[in-house]
Amino acid sequence: MTRPFLSIQGIRKDYGDFTAIRDVTLDIARGEFMTFLGPSGSGKSTTLYILAGFQDPTEGDVLLDGESLLRMPSHKRNIGMVFQRYTLFPHLSVGENVAFPLRVRRCAKSEIEDRVHAALRLVHLEDLAGRKPALMSGGQQQRVALARALVYDPPLLLMDEPLSALDKKLREELQFEIRRIHQETGVTILYVTHDQEEALRLSDRISVFSQGRIEQIGTGRELYAEPATRFVAGFIGDSNFLAADILSVAENKAKLSICDGIVIDGVPVQGRPAGTGRPTLLLRPERISLSHAREACGMPVTIRDLTFLGNMVEVSSVTDRDEPVKIRIPFGNRIVSELASGDRVWANFDPGSLHAFQD
Amino acid sequence: MLLDFNRLGGVRYFLVIVTGLVLLFLILPIVFIAALSFGSSQWLIFPPPSWTLKWYAELFSDPRWLYTALTSLKIAVIVTVLSVVLGFLASLGLNRGEFAGREQIRALFLTPMILPVIVLAVALYALFLKLGLAGTTAGFVIAHLLVALPFSIISISGALDGFDKSIEDAAILCGASPWEARLKVTVPSIRHGLFTAAVFSFLASWDEVVLAIFMSSPTLQTLPVKIWTTLRQDLTPVVAAVSTILVALTAVLIFTPLVFRKRQKDD
Repeated sequence: MTRPFLSIQGIRKDYGDFTAIRDVTLDIARGEFMTFLGPSGSGKSTTLYILAGFQDPTEGDVLLDGESLLRMPSHKRNIGMVFQRYTLFPHLSVGENVAFPLRVRRCAKSEIEDRVHAALRLVHLEDLAGRKPALMSGGQQQRVALARALVYDPPLLLMDEPLSALDKKLREELQFEIRRIHQETGVTILYVTHDQEEALRLSDRISVFSQGRIEQIGTGRELYAEPATRFVAGFIGDSNFLAADILSVAENKAKLSICDGIVIDGVPVQGRPAGTGRPTLLLRPERISLSHAREACGMPVTIRDLTFLGNMVEVSSVTDRDEPVKIRIPFGNRIVSELASGDRVWANFDPGSLHAFQD
Repeated sequence: MLLDFNRLGGVRYFLVIVTGLVLLFLILPIVFIAALSFGSSQWLIFPPPSWTLKWYAELFSDPRWLYTALTSLKIAVIVTVLSVVLGFLASLGLNRGEFAGREQIRALFLTPMILPVIVLAVALYALFLKLGLAGTTAGFVIAHLLVALPFSIISISGALDGFDKSIEDAAILCGASPWEARLKVTVPSIRHGLFTAAVFSFLASWDEVVLAIFMSSPTLQTLPVKIWTTLRQDLTPVVAAVSTILVALTAVLIFTPLVFRKRQKDD
């Protein structure tokens, strides 16, 4: 196996009695777009700050191209970073801001000029080189910050929720720009966000953080289709969770009972041989269909509410055990017009699309 | 808005009149002294019987006035530089440090403003006599630095409070060493605070008289002390001339930052 480009090895950070992160271990390939996704306080930013050198880990090491980063002070790490807050130097123009990293590196004047121009062109702001940051919108300021972080060709670019202060439309526009810039420059990016949609849109791979640990690492598709834990299942995409009782297990398929006396067979229990017990079942809202008559595999639910979401109708319902079940049906589906609050219908699904979690 | 000036009705005439009276109250003594400095009367008669420049001529022909002015200037400049540098470093410590009792220490830094100057003067005089600093330039500088520093710390730490520390972090990630980041990014970003600190430190020393009387010796005097001693000996319009020049210089110092700031906003 070839040496990983960036290797984070067993990082742990304690603040007194409190452990902010533990056992954070992952490898990142050159040119990869890796996102740290998790709720606030899950340790994703702490991990990024350790890479930037704002904090030192209690344990563990970080290797960039085989060399430890931790022994180097922040300003010698040659890492690019875009912050959540607007961090342009207020007394300098856009062009001077982007030139700053080259000036402190004592580059030649003509080289600075060429590279600043190229960096501003990359973020489509070459016309605003003379403007002061205070006169720019938040989106423009973050573009300049991106140009400033890339102008010295750092091998690694850290981004700490750079779009969280922007409104939704601008955020999507900049996500697209970041994706394009990643493809054009080939820079390795470590991106922190709490927004799952943003993570799915941008990343090659995602590390899901929860309570100071990495819960799962994988592509967006893998995390959605094969969540390793209940937390990941709940954090990526919408989900319904149902309590179940295991009746029997054979060849990684379980026979379970849910609701009151509904038995379903053929639920995958991958990896962990769940003998008996009461696992939690994950059921995605868009994998459920509704019908008036009983079908091969399903359970009765009572409709509580219908919400029109444009292309989808979201049906809120409860099982006979009062467990909430959310269902998404494409708008235009015939059954939508026939449903009303209080109706009792059948929610049908393929047992192969379920996941059983033992936690 | 509901309380906009235009909507105040009759009250606004009242406000205009009060504002005008307050302005007159503040400005009249200065106008009075300026008028006297150009008046021909030896006895400071007001209104002046006729106008003359002879008091200014007398002032400029006496080298002692110029000498004390230069002494004042030298002390004020040294105090200004020390006050801004020390004030900046102390403010960095106060703003960035994470230690117990930080707010108490911040309050402690401001005690020279609260303490009666005369108390400070007596205490310093007693101490400086022992140390042999009384009547020396160093003694003057230390005494004036004591009253200048609180102004410096208030305006610089205020400017630092409004400066986002992440901007410094960004400079360091860009490759600047910590001190390079402070000098090239932090200092220019809070330059208004530094400038205000410099102006107030200069003025705190330039027109300070109580400490200066205690610190002065027959050979080392500042301008305010010279005015004071001259007035005690005899009443002469030359003092009015000196005062007028002092007021003019102070006005220039105070109004320059205002103009400077306005230009900034217009940029």
